[in-house]
Amino acid sequence: MDNVLAIIKDTSLDYPQKRAALASAAENSLPYVPLSDRARGYLDRGVIHDLNEGHAPYRPRYILPDYAKLLRQGSAYLNLEPSRDLYEAINALLIAYRNVPSITGYPVYLGQIDDLLEPFVETVSEAELNKLLRLFLINIDRTLPDAFVHMNIGPRDTRIGRLVLALERELKKAVPNLSLKYSATTPDDFARLAVACALDTSKPYFVNHDVMVGVLGERYGIASCYNTLPLGGGSFTLPRLNLKEAAKLAKDADDFLGRVLPDVVDALCEIIAARARFIVEEARFFESSFLAREGLISPDRFTAMAGFFGLYEGVQILTGGLRMGHDAAANELADRIMARAHDLVKQHDCAYCRGTDGKITVHAQSGIDSDVDVTAGVRIRIGDEPGLFEQIALASRLQRYFDSGVSDIYIFESTARDNIDGVLKIVKGAMKRGMRVMALNTSDSELIRITGYLVKRSDVERYRRGEQLREGTVKLGADSIVNNRTLERRVRRITEGQES
Amino acid sequence: MKTGIVNKIIDSTLIDGPGSRLAVFLQGCNLSCRYCHNPETQRLCDHCGRCVPACPADALSLRDGRVVWDEVRCVRCDSCLAVCPHYSSPKTRIMTVAEVFARIAAVQDFLDGITVSGGECTLQHDFLLALLRRVKAETALTTFIDTNGLIPPAVLAELSAVTDGFMFDLKALDPDLHRRLTGGDNALILRNLATVSARGTLYEVRTVVVPGYTDDPAEIRRIAELVGDLNRYTRYKLIPFRPQGVRGELAAAPPMERERFAELVAAARGALGGRLVEGR
Repeated sequence: MDNVLAIIKDTSLDYPQKRAALASAAENSLPYVPLSDRARGYLDRGVIHDLNEGHAPYRPRYILPDYAKLLRQGSAYLNLEPSRDLYEAINALLIAYRNVPSITGYPVYLGQIDDLLEPFVETVSEAELNKLLRLFLINIDRTLPDAFVHMNIGPRDTRIGRLVLALERELKKAVPNLSLKYSATTPDDFARLAVACALDTSKPYFVNHDVMVGVLGERYGIASCYNTLPLGGGSFTLPRLNLKEAAKLAKDADDFLGRVLPDVVDALCEIIAARARFIVEEARFFESSFLAREGLISPDRFTAMAGFFGLYEGVQILTGGLRMGHDAAANELADRIMARAHDLVKQHDCAYCRGTDGKITVHAQSGIDSDVDVTAGVRIRIGDEPGLFEQIALASRLQRYFDSGVSDIYIFESTARDNIDGVLKIVKGAMKRGMRVMALNTSDSELIRITGYLVKRSDVERYRRGEQLREGTVKLGADSIVNNRTLERRVRRITEGQES
Repeated sequence: MKTGIVNKIIDSTLIDGPGSRLAVFLQGCNLSCRYCHNPETQRLCDHCGRCVPACPADALSLRDGRVVWDEVRCVRCDSCLAVCPHYSSPKTRIMTVAEVFARIAAVQDFLDGITVSGGECTLQHDFLLALLRRVKAETALTTFIDTNGLIPPAVLAELSAVTDGFMFDLKALDPDLHRRLTGGDNALILRNLATVSARGTLYEVRTVVVPGYTDDPAEIRRIAELVGDLNRYTRYKLIPFRPQGVRGELAAAPPMERERFAELVAAARGALGGRLVEGR
C-alpha cells in the first residue's frame, strides 16, 4: 500500500488527479484480466503495451454518447426535460458531460456541436448566442481540464460552427480538442475560417468526412486524440503493438510479415478481446450505466482498437537503415506491413465489437509521454520529415489502413497566415489523396500539438517551475516534448522544395 | 524536343502568386540589378571550372570541358555560387518540357497553379511557351509569369495567350534611376505593363525598395499612382531590401530600416488603398 500513501502525499497532484490515481491503484491491486502466457510475455517485453489502462477495466476507454437524443428526450437519470431553447440545451450538455465515463475520467467526446445546437440558435438573440457559446467553451475548459476532451463540427457551414471557430481563435485554450469533418461539399469560405483558426491554434483537425462515411457510415464522431468511432457507442480498449520492438524479433522483412507479425497481432487481439469481455461480462458496464439504459449508447455501437506505432523504426530495422519518406523501398515495406497488420486484425472475431461487424478496428497510436526513440503511429520520425507533398503522399497512402484513427501534423511558417487559400488548397489535395486526419499549426503557435492533444507553451513552463495545474495533459505534454522532440518538427517554409 | 535551362524548381510556395503554387526558376537574365537577391540566376554557365575546387563535398567535376554537378553529393552550401565570377551556377539543369511537366503533374492535387520565374524566364520563350501550353492543355492549374517586363512585344503576345497572370517586378519608374539600378532602359517595360494591364492579367506589380535608390517617397508614390491609373484590380507590393544573397556594392548595405519602409508603404497606400501589399 506504499503507492497509495505516496499518491495521498503527492503535493503535485490536485484533488481530482489524486482521486483518479487512487482509483487506478485500487484497480491495479487486482490480478490482470486472464491472459495466455504468450500474450503476457509480449506485454512484459514491451512488444505490446496496454497504455496503462488498468488490470480490471470497468468502463470503456472511449464513449461517444448520442447527445442529440439526450436533448430530444431529456434524461430520467439526470432529471432533465427535453431542451426547448439554447439555454436548456447547453445546460443539459454541461450536466451530461460530467456523467460520461472514460479512461481519463473526463468525457472524451462532446458531440457534434453544430448539429446539437444549431436547432436552437433562433431561440436567443445574436448577443445571447455569442455570450452563451463563449461561456459554454470557457465552462468546458475550466470544468473538464483535459486536452482529450473533443468537440466536432462540420461538414456543414453553420452559425454555431463559425462561432466556435471564431471563439476558439480568440480564447486559444488547449481544451477542447476540435475536429472539422471536411467534405468536398464544405463551402470554401467556411473552410477558410477553419484554416485560419488552425494556423493560429492548431485546431481544428481536418477529418476526411467523405472517406470516413465510407468506412464508418454517417454516424461517427472524433474523440480523444483523433479516434474515429461509431456515434452512440465507442471503444472498449486500445492496447498497442510496438512495431520497433516486434521488428527486433524478426530475421528479416519476410520473417516479420510471415511469422512475427501474425503471432504478435494474434496476442494483441487476445488481449483486446479479454479486456472487452471483462468490461461487459464482469464489470457489467452496460447494466450499470444510465447512458445505456436511456439509449444514449448501445452495445451494438461499440468496438475496440488495435493500436500500432513505431512503424518508422520497424521499417528502419527491417531494411538495414532505410528511411520512410526518403527511400522508395522503405515506403513500400511500410505499406506492406500496415496492409498485412490490417488484414491480420480483421481475420479475428471479437464478440463485443458489434459496432464494427464483430471486427476489431485499426488505430495508429500517437505515442505517450514516456516513449523514447519510437515514433508515433505511422508518422515519419520528427526531424526527418521529407518535402511537404512527399510526406502528404506517403501519409495518405498509409492512412488507408486505419478505420479508428490516424493523423499527421504539418507545421507552417507563421507567414502562411497571409495565404489561407494556398494552405486550404494543400488540405484539399491531402483529402483528395485520401488523408484521413490532418493537423496544421505554425511554428510560433502558443498551442502545441503534442501527439493528438494540445498544450500551451506557457503551461509547459509553469509545469516545469513546479506549479500545480488543472490539466493533467500538461504533464504528459511537457514530458513528451523532452522524450519525443515534439518541438523539432520540420517547419514548412513558405517556399519549400528541392533544387531540381 | 524543347529543353530549358532550369535553375531550380520549388514544389510548394505560398508567396509567388495566388494560392498554393509550384515555382520554376529559369536561368539567365537581361538586366543586372545591383540589388539582385539571386545573382546566380543571371548568366549561363561558361564552364570555366572555377567552382570545382571550391566544392567541399566533391559534388562538382570537370568532364570534357564541362562542369558536372552531382546532385546526390551536393550539400547545398552554395560555396560554388560565391566563387562564380559570371553570376551563374553549376547547379542548373537542362530539362525537357516533359520532365518539368511530369514534376508539376505529380503534385497538381496540391496546387492552384504554377509560377515561372527566373532570372528572366521569358528569355527562354520557346521552352516557356511549350511548357505553359502543356500545363493549360492537360491540367486545371493557373499559369503565372514572374517577369521584369523586358520582353519583345511579339513574345509577350504569344505568352499572353497561355498565361493567367503576370507579376511585374518594376525596379523603378524614373528612367535614369532604372538605368542606374539595373543597367537597362524601362520604356519597353512600361509599354508591356500597359499591354498586360489592358488584357486583365496584371496580377501584381512589385518594387524592392533599395536604400539610396528607390527609397524616395515621391518615386514610390508615382509608381503607386501609375498602378492605380492602369486599372482597378492590380495589387502593388513593396518589398524591403535585404542584403542576403546580394553581390557587389550593395552586399554590405544594411537592410531597409523599418520606419523608413513604413513611410514608403504609407505613401503608396495613400495612392492605392487596399491594393497596396506590404511585403516582408
